Amino acid sequence: MTEPVEDALRARIGEWVGKSISGAGPAVAPDDVNVPMIRHWVDALDDRNPVYLDAEYAANSRFGGIVAPPAMLQTWTMPRPRIEGIAERGGAPGEIPADHPISLLDQAGYVGTLATNSELEFERYLRPGDRLESDIVLESISDRKKTSLGKGYFVTWVTTYTDQLGEVVGRQMFRIFKFDPSTIGAPS
Amino acid sequence: MSATDGVTLRWGDLAVGDEVPLFELPVTATVIVAGAIASRDFMPAHHDHAFAIGQGAPDVFMNILTTNGYVSRFITDWAGPETVLRKIAIRLGVPAVPGKPLRFTGVVTALRRQGEEGLVDIAVRAANDLGDHLTGTVTIAL
Repeated sequence: MTEPVEDALRARIGEWVGKSISGAGPAVAPDDVNVPMIRHWVDALDDRNPVYLDAEYAANSRFGGIVAPPAMLQTWTMPRPRIEGIAERGGAPGEIPADHPISLLDQAGYVGTLATNSELEFERYLRPGDRLESDIVLESISDRKKTSLGKGYFVTWVTTYTDQLGEVVGRQMFRIFKFDPSTIGAPS
Repeated sequence: MSATDGVTLRWGDLAVGDEVPLFELPVTATVIVAGAIASRDFMPAHHDHAFAIGQGAPDVFMNILTTNGYVSRFITDWAGPETVLRKIAIRLGVPAVPGKPLRFTGVVTALRRQGEEGLVDIAVRAANDLGDHLTGTVTIAL
C-alpha cells in the first residue's frame, strides 16, 4: 500500500541525491595533519607501528617519513564540537540545518539511526603538514523498508577528502538506516 | 611475525587461505572513550553510560572510527609496518561494549597484481558474544 506522505518525504530527500549535504560548503580541517594528534591516536589504540611516530624508522621505510594512521582520515576534518547541548542534539557536534536530509527524516519520526556500512579508500597516506577538506555527497536513499527495528530508509553518502593541492587523498562511503522506532512490528 | 618485529610480509610469500593470527581486544569503557576522543568524536553514546542506555544501547559503545582503527592495527600488526592499506570495507553489526572482548580474525581471499603493485584481499571479522561486530574486506598493497 502506498502512503503518499512517506513517498513525498522520499522524493524530497531524493532531490539531494548527487548534491553536497555538507551545509555551508566543504569542511576544512581545523589543523594540519600533525604528530600530537597522531600520538594521541596511537596511544589510544595502542598501535605501535613505528611509521606513525618513529621519525628515523619512517625515514628509512617505503614511506620516506612519518605518515598518519590511514584510519584517522575522518578525524582530521571532524567538526569542532560545541559540548554544551550536545546530548540534546542527539550527539551532533553542531546544529543541523532544518532542510538537511537527516533533519527531514528526524522531523518525520525516523529518529532512530543504525550505521550499517563503511567503506574507506585511501589514495595516499597523509603526512604532517597536509591540510584536508572534505565534502559529503548524498549517493542514494532507498525505498521505505520494513525491518526488525521498524520502518525506515537506507541513506548512503560519500565523503571525499582532498588535500591542500585539491588532490583526492581518500573517500568514505557510509550507509545508515534511519528508522521510526514506533513502527516496530507494524504491518507493512 | 608482526609490525613490532619490523618485518613486512612479501606479496609473493602469501597464499590464498593464509590466516591472520587471532587478535583479542579486551574492550573496556576506557578503550571506547580513548578511541572516541582520539578520533575527535564527542557523541555522548561513546562516553556517557546514561545517554547510551537512554538510546536503547546496552552501554557506551565503540565509534566506527575506532573500529576502523583497530581493523587497521589488526592487519598491520600481522603484515608489517610497511603495509599500505588501500581499502577497509565493512558491514557493521552488534555494538562493541565494555566487558565483551572483540575477537578479530582474517583470511587471505585473493592475491592480485595492479601494475607494479601486489594487492592482497583479506576477509575480516570481529565478533563478541553478542555476534558479529563487523564483517568485511581489507585490501592492502605490499
